[in-house]
Amino acid sequence: MLYPVRGPRLVRRLTLILLITALSGLLFGAAPVKLDDAWRALSDGRDRDALRAIGNDRSTRAAQLAYAATVMSQQPAIDQNMREAEAIFIELAKGDDAIADEAAYLRARLWQLHYFTPDLAKAAELYTELAARHPQSHWAQLGLVKLGLLKLYALPDPASPDRLAPAEALLARIHEPALQRDLHLQIGQAGVVLRQPLRRLIPHLVAADQIGGIGATAYEDLVIQIGELSLRAGLLEQAKVYFTRYLKEYPAALRTFAVRKRLEEAERQLALAAKEGGK
Amino acid sequence: MRFAKRGWIGLGIIIGGYLVAAGWVWTHSAPLIPDRPVTIRIAHWQVEAGPPDGMDAVIKRYEQLNPRVRVLQQLIPGIVYKQWMRTNLASGSGADIIEWGAWLEGVRDVPARYFEPVTEALGQPNPYNKGTVLEKTPWQKTFKDNLQGSRNDSPDPGQIFGVTMTECSVRLFCNRQLLREATGSEHVPQTFDEMRKIFLQLDAYSQRTGHRVMGIAGAKDNAEWLLQYLLMDTTLGLNFSIDDSGMLSMYNRQVLAAYLDGRWNWSRPEVRAGLELLRDVGRHMKPGFLQLQRDEATREFLAGDALFIFTGTWDATSLKRLASFEVGALRFPQPAKDDPIAGPYLIGRFQDGGGVTAMAMHLTKNSAHKAEALDFMRFMTSLEGQQLFTDGSGWLPATLEVKIPPAIQSFVSPLDGYTMCQPYSIIGSTVTMEFERNLHLLLGQNGSVDRYVAELDRVMPAAVRADLQTEVSSTLITLRAQDARMIAQARLSGPTQEGIYHAGQRALMESGQTLAEATTMQMMRQLKTAGPAE
Repeated sequence: MLYPVRGPRLVRRLTLILLITALSGLLFGAAPVKLDDAWRALSDGRDRDALRAIGNDRSTRAAQLAYAATVMSQQPAIDQNMREAEAIFIELAKGDDAIADEAAYLRARLWQLHYFTPDLAKAAELYTELAARHPQSHWAQLGLVKLGLLKLYALPDPASPDRLAPAEALLARIHEPALQRDLHLQIGQAGVVLRQPLRRLIPHLVAADQIGGIGATAYEDLVIQIGELSLRAGLLEQAKVYFTRYLKEYPAALRTFAVRKRLEEAERQLALAAKEGGK
Repeated sequence: MRFAKRGWIGLGIIIGGYLVAAGWVWTHSAPLIPDRPVTIRIAHWQVEAGPPDGMDAVIKRYEQLNPRVRVLQQLIPGIVYKQWMRTNLASGSGADIIEWGAWLEGVRDVPARYFEPVTEALGQPNPYNKGTVLEKTPWQKTFKDNLQGSRNDSPDPGQIFGVTMTECSVRLFCNRQLLREATGSEHVPQTFDEMRKIFLQLDAYSQRTGHRVMGIAGAKDNAEWLLQYLLMDTTLGLNFSIDDSGMLSMYNRQVLAAYLDGRWNWSRPEVRAGLELLRDVGRHMKPGFLQLQRDEATREFLAGDALFIFTGTWDATSLKRLASFEVGALRFPQPAKDDPIAGPYLIGRFQDGGGVTAMAMHLTKNSAHKAEALDFMRFMTSLEGQQLFTDGSGWLPATLEVKIPPAIQSFVSPLDGYTMCQPYSIIGSTVTMEFERNLHLLLGQNGSVDRYVAELDRVMPAAVRADLQTEVSSTLITLRAQDARMIAQARLSGPTQEGIYHAGQRALMESGQTLAEATTMQMMRQLKTAGPAE
């Protein structure tokens, strides 16, 4: 006898269960796509897992968006993938729902960042179109922030040598406070890089600080920055407020020595001004 | 009969050999079935005396607290570290937690490609600090420098990738016995000029005794560290003058951009003064030291052939354990205002390394056990974990409130000086390479400051441009990946607990991306407007 005819009962039962489980796939068809699994994988940067979760299902607009978003993130990043994703985004953007806005936004991002040769003018055009079509959509609002960055640093604007003004004009169209904060912050930083007058750029930095919620790293820099630029601009009271706040919030940080010295300088100048005012 | 006896002996040797080999394999190899369900690996290059012991102590305690997890420490020698890291990360077999430093040449892109930001976790209190004074403090703020180094080195401004294990400072380690013999006093130098005078006394001592003793133990690494120190001192005022952003510190990208804008160069008198000071000290290192590695300098010092050694506190445990004499750790005497070389350019004391934390550990993106790895990162940087590391390694802690043993108290630098940016020699990997490659023009037999700065100003425009371009490329990698991730976060947002979490993640990522995108555009504009490299 080559193998036992009567195996242990447990083994026989297990074999039966396995057989039924395997056949059930044929009887009831494949399990429905769990799109949330795909989004979870994508949100975690696991593109292959996302593709696996999506499978061949393109039956819904959400599944199409998930597929195209995954394709544009795949490595190696090649234009062929970008073109495939863009074709899907173009179709999805024709709709009138949140998915249409997300697709339109991602299409603009493709042209700004993902194609081997970006076309910044085209990206700006797509952000503008999205904002015109659905001005209240979050993705349109975020697109306006990105458009602001393009205007600050990249897009040629022969009509206006003042690069800050076109970005400043966008602020009124942005209603979400966090996004308005981010654009204020970047207008202020661009003002530094583009050597604009301090009294023009400092209000943008202060506005960003007042809206609040800036990430820890940028926040520490910003508090010092407002203090120091205010001191340089002669806004002594404001300099004192920000330097004092820094020392209170970061008592053991490396820059406390320099900040303390700058605070002393602000106080010295304030005392001098008070003395001269008294005369 | 004789043949049979020999045969038995041979067989006995074979069986004995087999048993020894089997015993070795049995006791030294990993078990076929792991005793714990999760194994994570942490890799670093700190193979000096001390850190491996400290890390072992941390691991032992962590494993007691977490019976599910086994932590393995991988010690990779510095000489092969970059190759090891690149190969393992590319093949997806890298350790779960990996040490990385921005100054390592040719691996600047690694964080963007292979590491996971831990910014969000850093915004929350570290659970392992429960019951301590740091219980409610966000994890990031429990680090002495608020993770300044990791922020500077991040490829994605606004995101933090590494958490640090130790605070580093540089010290002038002194052979106190030799100092007494050579100078007849225990007085240690307080100023740069006093150090010059001790060097002269040492020359006389060498002639008197016939035992040639050098002022400072010499090796290429130690000379480079010394130059970094001296350059930071002499260029402090220059750096404040180019700090347009008013942050009272500068990121590498800002220093690189300022160079392309013509705001500083290697011929500047402040830079030349730093180089001059190094030549001044270099005369008291043994001839040919540029060909030697740091181990040689350590050997020279331990053999009593050099009075001082200038190195970081990372070498302190080795020096103290191996020296047969009393080793003093002194703050390097900074030049004074009346110094003939550096005096005109000094604006005050600069922060000599203390306060900056290092040994940055990073979470690998492809880790199969990210949650456990992050948990271990929390523990090793908690008050308890850091106390164990400090006591076991003899290295300073990176975390606040850790008790510092008296033996290493002198490594702590009070916050009594300015800090501004990295020294110009290590602001980018190509810059560092050029800087080191040409060092012989400064310190070689026919070297001079003129020859060195002439060559640096010839090669640096292209090097600086390459490094700024690398910064752009690294940031673009993370920016591109975030677009789809943000949409995914939005799709998962909702009123459930998970939905609220993802909504928060999306908002954080959007804000961070805008910040990084703007920085990248600044750099691209600077590259464009600065004109072609010479």
